[in-house]
Amino acid sequence: MTGRHAAVRPAGTQPAGRPLTGIALTGTPLTGTLALLRHALRLDRWKLLPWLLVIGIFPTVSYSVYGSLFSSPLEAKALQLSLGTNPAFSLLFGPATDLGTAAGFTAWRVQMFGMFFAALMAVFTVTRHTRAAEESGRAELLDSGVVGRHARLASAVVLAWLASAAVTVLVGLALMMAGSEPAPAFALGSAFGGMGLAFAGVAAVTAQLGSTGRTANTLAATVLGVSYLLRGLGDTLDDSEWLLWTNPMGWAEKILPASENDFRPLLLLLAASLALALLAAWLESRRDFGMGLIAPRGGPARGRLGTWGLTARLNRGAFLTWAVVFVALGSVYGLVATTMSGIFSDNPFVKQMITFRLATEEQLLFAFVEVLLLVLAFIGGVFGIQVVLRFHTEEDEGRAEWMLSAPLSRLSYVVPTVVLAAVGPAVGMAAGSAALATSARLAGSELDTAKVVFQGLAEVPSLWLAAAVALFLVGLAPRARAGAWLVLVYWLLLTMFGPVLKAPEWLLGTSPFHVVPNVMESSPDWLPVAWTLLLAVGLLLAGLAGYRRRDLLSR
Amino acid sequence: MAAVVSITGLTKSFGHSMALDGLDLEVSEGEVHGFLGPNGAGKSTTLRILLGLLRADAGTVRVLDGDPWRDVVTLHRRIVYVPGDVSLWPGLSGGEAIDLLGRLRGGLDERRRAELLDTFELDPTVRGHAYSKGNRQKVAIVAALSSNAELLILDEPTSGLDPLMEATFRQEIRREKAQGRSVLLSSHILAEVESLADRISIIRRGKVVESGSLEQMRTHARTNVAATLSDGATRLSATPQLTAVPGVEGLRIDGSRVQFNVDAGGLAAAMNVLTGLGVSALTVTPPSLEDLFLRHYGERAGQGLPQ
Ligand SMILES: Nc1ncnc2c1ncn2[C@@H]1O[C@H](COP(=O)(O)OP(=O)(O)O)[C@@H](O)[C@H]1O
Ligand SMILES: [Mg+2]
Repeated sequence: MTGRHAAVRPAGTQPAGRPLTGIALTGTPLTGTLALLRHALRLDRWKLLPWLLVIGIFPTVSYSVYGSLFSSPLEAKALQLSLGTNPAFSLLFGPATDLGTAAGFTAWRVQMFGMFFAALMAVFTVTRHTRAAEESGRAELLDSGVVGRHARLASAVVLAWLASAAVTVLVGLALMMAGSEPAPAFALGSAFGGMGLAFAGVAAVTAQLGSTGRTANTLAATVLGVSYLLRGLGDTLDDSEWLLWTNPMGWAEKILPASENDFRPLLLLLAASLALALLAAWLESRRDFGMGLIAPRGGPARGRLGTWGLTARLNRGAFLTWAVVFVALGSVYGLVATTMSGIFSDNPFVKQMITFRLATEEQLLFAFVEVLLLVLAFIGGVFGIQVVLRFHTEEDEGRAEWMLSAPLSRLSYVVPTVVLAAVGPAVGMAAGSAALATSARLAGSELDTAKVVFQGLAEVPSLWLAAAVALFLVGLAPRARAGAWLVLVYWLLLTMFGPVLKAPEWLLGTSPFHVVPNVMESSPDWLPVAWTLLLAVGLLLAGLAGYRRRDLLSR
Repeated sequence: MAAVVSITGLTKSFGHSMALDGLDLEVSEGEVHGFLGPNGAGKSTTLRILLGLLRADAGTVRVLDGDPWRDVVTLHRRIVYVPGDVSLWPGLSGGEAIDLLGRLRGGLDERRRAELLDTFELDPTVRGHAYSKGNRQKVAIVAALSSNAELLILDEPTSGLDPLMEATFRQEIRREKAQGRSVLLSSHILAEVESLADRISIIRRGKVVESGSLEQMRTHARTNVAATLSDGATRLSATPQLTAVPGVEGLRIDGSRVQFNVDAGGLAAAMNVLTGLGVSALTVTPPSLEDLFLRHYGERAGQGLPQ
């Protein structure tokens, strides 16, 4: 037992600080959990609400538009045939088990997004109240009330559980109000909520391992990414269904909303969450307050960083992470693309298209690869925006003020970030598409490597536009900078689902990702890409001008 | 003496709230200038404008004969700054942060750097997220003092330091001054300003309400008088007589004890009244910095200084 973190601190040794009211002096390791939970709830009201709304509303919208999508049940069945047998879509969104009903269609459309978002919500919530709170010193102030050894952890996990339960109920009720049967509605809600439960447990553990909030979040997000990959492989590769049982995302998918409505995997997720929380508590008692089990190393006494070095250093972790994601996803996608050739011969629509010379087999294969590259491109977009917002974090946390008190113009300060936001995603995209083409070829596919990489690079101006939007906001409206994420999500949803939802062409055209031409065409239309570039440059220049001119935000 | 900082009529607002409202400030070459005021008075805002981090709404601001907004790079070669709330890069060690700032300035005084790390007992190998507030502040202080700048702009540099380190800090500032450097030191700690500053400006709600050396301020300012009246009966007449004296304020009569403060002009007249009433004991105290300060923040006098 360490002194700083004793289960019950004798009253006389309390450091100064406002103790929480209503905490008894005698206690167990969980003493004070309820008070901390109430406090956390009060702090988090507005932070959790957007998550709940997005996760809650998205399925309902999908459910409501279903009726207008297909003129006949036959059309829906046809879509299912072509989508259900397309491994690219199984890999991305999970298998389409039942597109014949609104609930089934909704489950397929939103399942991955909902599970992803619910998991992230839980991770951020737990980290915020455990590791990040310790890091910022907030926890110390609160813990100076008499608080049990595991109370902070317990309150954070319970809060994430409550939020996950809220997701389940919200999705269920909202879908029922839109006209769904209760069983599929709550099954889908449970798939989301179950992921929230499981990842609350994962984050509880990673919060003990990492010594900063960022490390804890990264570790938990890595577990989520690996789950997504394993689940995707389990859904697509032959004879690999067992992979679904290796990870929480596979379990949540096994609930099979709308087709099976099997709630038993939810128990598995709950059990995993409990087990992980207990593991986290055990780990917590073996570490000191403020320290992670992965001990922070000391640093060098001297440094040689300048503005470029600093920018590289600050983005090093993100860059390496994304590089791994690009190459890993690219390789997996390449494997999947290869298995498609065989599937083509079984798919009546594909056969038809080939018979009527609407497309060659290579073109069809390439069309699927294009979808996969699009996913890589969105990841590139995330990376670019992240680099720019990382720059703004420096201002937000007060370090830019210190830097700019040195003989350094605003422009020279921001330029390394601009260069990295331009080069980083482009390199990632090139590496990802090269990995895709290479792994496809190794597995025996006909794909032309150069063309795949070229198609991948054709997406790069869109990534630049995403980063430029972020820079524009940071320069001119820094308080609205998170809007860059909204824009990217809007593009993602529009490009992925707009065509299926029969959105008009002008609307689809507002996404730069939609207008990227297929390089396999005989005369690809590059004009829209030129516009994308021009717009990106315009936003960049406006953002830079704004940044040079505006007040530096202070804390 | 030439002015290194000269501000007249400076205003700055954030949205609807007016942070600076016609502020005047002058710092002479080679002096330590104390910039005194409670939280929210506008100290940091003023310093940020001097560094070109914020843009002035109106007024003229000159620093080292330059325009702080336009001539950022050239001016900053000659200025160092210690921010009010030092935030370090979580993954960078303190030493790396010091050297980063040093490198941006085109190098730092190696001997001084080593010496300062020693006197402030700062371990430069600790990573940013592991430093306490006081140690983060020390990192910024070491980075600032190991440069060869002419003007030091320090925003509440000791708010996280323990008393021992505060003493070390004062000693180091005196050394800087002895080298001929000018220092603008914002603070809400009276003792610090009183012991270091040659001249003081007191800021209140975005305006400098009093400026000068402590000596000058004392002569301009009010003297505290406490007297015990010899005869209780005269108490009734004490109130009207003393209130009639121009310059008497803060009159409190408690039993036979009379307390008030009075400006230099009214001192003689007030003494005459007291003598007329008959005094058995009399204390006359020249104003302390605290009195000066509290007079400008009169409405909060009961609470003492806001921390
Ligand atoms: N970036 C900002 N946005 C809005 N208000 C601000 C900002 N910076 C300072 N203020 C306000 O201006 C006033 C002066 O603040 P500041 O200069 O930080 O005072 P001090 O440093 O003396 O404590 C305060 O009321 C503060 O709330
Ligand atoms: Mg301040």
